[in-house]
Amino acid sequence: MAGAALRLSGVTKRFGGLVAVDGVTIDFAGGKLNAIIGPNGAGKTTLFNLITGEIPADSGRIEFAGKDIARLKPHQIVRRGVSRTLQIKSVFGGLSVIDNIRAAVLTNRGIKAPFRLVSSFKSVSARADELIEEVGLTGHRETIASALSYGDVALLEMALALAAEPKLLLLDEPICGMGPQETERAVAMIRRIAKRIDVILIEHDMEVVFDIADFIMVMAQGGILATGTAADIASNLAVQEAYLGSPEDELAC
Amino acid sequence: MNEFVLALAVNGLVWGLIIALIALGLSIIFGLLDVINMAHGDFFMLGTVGGLAIAVSTGSFWLALLIVPLIGLLLGAAIEWLVIRPTLRQASLTIVTTFGLSMIIQETVRATYGPQPRRMAAPIDGTIPLFGIDYDLYRIAAAIFSALCLAAFFLFLNRTKIGTWIRAVRHDPETATSLGIPVAQITAFTFALGTAMALLGGVIAAPITTVEFRTGIDILPFCFMAVIIGGLGNLQGTVAAAIMLAVLEGLVTSVVDPTTARIASLAFMSAVLLLRPHGLFSGATR
Amino acid sequence: MTAARARLICLIVFAAALLAVPHVLPAFGATFWVNIVAEILIWSLLAASVNLLLGFTGLLSFGQALYFGFGMYGVALSINNWDVGFLPALLIGIAAASAMALATGIFAVRLTWHYFAIITVVFSLIFYFAAMSTKWLTGGDDGMSFSPPPVLEIGDFSLTLADTTTQYYVILAVVAFAFAVKALIVNSPLGLSFKAVRENHRRAALIGINVFRTRLVAFVIAGALAGTSGALFAFFGRYASASYMFYHVSGEAVVWAVVGGSGALLGPLFGAGSLIIFREIASNFWENYLLAVGAITILVVMFAPRGIAGAWNDMLQALTTRGGHASDTVADTAPAVRDNALPEER
Repeated sequence: MAGAALRLSGVTKRFGGLVAVDGVTIDFAGGKLNAIIGPNGAGKTTLFNLITGEIPADSGRIEFAGKDIARLKPHQIVRRGVSRTLQIKSVFGGLSVIDNIRAAVLTNRGIKAPFRLVSSFKSVSARADELIEEVGLTGHRETIASALSYGDVALLEMALALAAEPKLLLLDEPICGMGPQETERAVAMIRRIAKRIDVILIEHDMEVVFDIADFIMVMAQGGILATGTAADIASNLAVQEAYLGSPEDELAC
Repeated sequence: MNEFVLALAVNGLVWGLIIALIALGLSIIFGLLDVINMAHGDFFMLGTVGGLAIAVSTGSFWLALLIVPLIGLLLGAAIEWLVIRPTLRQASLTIVTTFGLSMIIQETVRATYGPQPRRMAAPIDGTIPLFGIDYDLYRIAAAIFSALCLAAFFLFLNRTKIGTWIRAVRHDPETATSLGIPVAQITAFTFALGTAMALLGGVIAAPITTVEFRTGIDILPFCFMAVIIGGLGNLQGTVAAAIMLAVLEGLVTSVVDPTTARIASLAFMSAVLLLRPHGLFSGATR
Repeated sequence: MTAARARLICLIVFAAALLAVPHVLPAFGATFWVNIVAEILIWSLLAASVNLLLGFTGLLSFGQALYFGFGMYGVALSINNWDVGFLPALLIGIAAASAMALATGIFAVRLTWHYFAIITVVFSLIFYFAAMSTKWLTGGDDGMSFSPPPVLEIGDFSLTLADTTTQYYVILAVVAFAFAVKALIVNSPLGLSFKAVRENHRRAALIGINVFRTRLVAFVIAGALAGTSGALFAFFGRYASASYMFYHVSGEAVVWAVVGGSGALLGPLFGAGSLIIFREIASNFWENYLLAVGAITILVVMFAPRGIAGAWNDMLQALTTRGGHASDTVADTAPAVRDNALPEER
């Protein structure tokens, strides 16, 4: 997709005296795999929360598909084509995998019928099965989500995000807590998806970021520290200092 | 006419102070354990019943005033351990648990004490001229005593170690644990304290209300009103709201009937819940 | 035999038993038990309204008695003032309750967790007091009675509620229909959105669900169920009284819902049934049987939070071969206000 995937202008958010996001202005180009990195507390997740409308920005514009979405509610933003995964993997624990995804597909298609059984919507189930295949959860169709392994929950969450047929996908630390094999699988999937959907991801794992990201934005203390390609960022002294200067909290991903 | 209205206002003040005591107990339970205690009004009722029973059997109201809150502490601790703690796992159902508890308490009292409402003679006789009418001396004493108890409560909360621990756990249980504060014991103690305060309110109120197993039903909504309007977590706000509501309701009943006054208070409470969920007096810190 | 098959067979047996009640019970000399079963059916709808909100949408309402009351008074007032027939009165009662649920739900559903429970009580108290003080309209505590119109009148043939058997079957028909509608809704896309909101309201919003509207729809449907219960109750007792709008009635409905199993479709029936039968039997030799009810409530929350239906389902699952869908049983009853809340919330 050409054109800007997302355009932020002067986006600011304060919590009491703390400035969590400080006048961020940036264009995320379409057709690229974008990454946001930065030390803990830099404001990355808060920025995502602002984009998805879960917390209101104090000021600034968030332009998606030509419209300012800064004042919209989360479900409206999802309907417009922005999907997201969360840092702490979040799905519908008490429902089966297929029901999880069906819920998302039904919502995406605006189906709210009260007097027909869910199972009667064949195309919805078909699409859900497609998504199960795509993320690699085949065989877990009937498993209750709370019984899934952590890695599988992450895959399910990805399926939910994809079910909304997004044009922009925000991934918040998608490989957090995964072992090497799961990470490989997840990274391959993200690469695949990024070919047809704009992606912005927050990640702590530098190796992965430098490997797959076309464009990297470094945040520190609520503001943009640097932007550029992997090569640019890797050689940027200010970035290195920002990471050295902050507490090494490797496990808090 | 004027004296009548003033008397109503003073009545309101007396009740407001007593209810402030009970509502504070509710607030610390709600604030710390996140439990809606549907039995809190029944704790008050236990205080009235216990107060009457002890006063009658020992002949001394003052003994009752001393013993009943202590019973409240023990009872609260027992209930917290036996009933509340095991059901906290189903956090959303604690209201159901306390509703069951309310049933148990009411029926126990009805079974042992009987369904007949009783009245208790005031331990202090006589009246005092106030604003041109003869006002019950006991009510004045009750108001003063309640105010003293309130002051003692805030002193306890702000100046003692346990009180500080309670405030710490309310504010941030995780940090409190890491600071070495025994959160489980503090939680149990807080529930016990809240219970004791409700029973204390009951004893104080016993001579000026009917003593029967249903007294708690009316008090509960009023306490919740005080807590919500005052602001959850805002203890001073709860006290202010309790007094304000009681005085206002007292004054309004001189113009309209009590039911309408109660409806107005409830509507006001709804408005606060919806518009200012942190209560009227913000500056409420959790 | 799969669990699903076993469950279906049990359901058929159960339905058959209910149909046979007016013919079987009198043979045991227990005519008045027919009325008890009818009462159980009526109250189970009130419990069902709690169950829909709690078990399927994750909202604990402690004020369903309000909509019960509107259903009740809708029937009584329309019959006394406008002389309407049976079906119109029933529909008016349900409509009144639903409208009230919409009007109050718009406000109540904005709140969550304990605040939602509190405001449902407050709303029901407001109208309880209003009903008590407008004695000229509602009869207050004493209530108002009315003569129920015939259920069906074709020429000379008429079915009235005066006949115990007819009354029973009419109630059974309405209740069965209501449960069937509820079952359909719960397994529909709408019902799935309820469950999604219950499980994880943040995730629900992030897949595009309007959480507020979803909860409101659930609230109105629950109000309709409670209103149906109230309407039937009015017909059953031939009267309406404000005392049934007090929060104790709401609380009892919550107890029935939880004891019966708040995540299960027929849970309300089991809960209301077991506790009302318990009441009928126990009150004969123990005046303070409510003590036991309170104890049962606490014990159920402590040891069997999924209630009778939950335990029953577990047993069936254990006794039969692995079959049936995972989504048949509801994993847990607690609404998911877990760590998916934003850091700025609560």
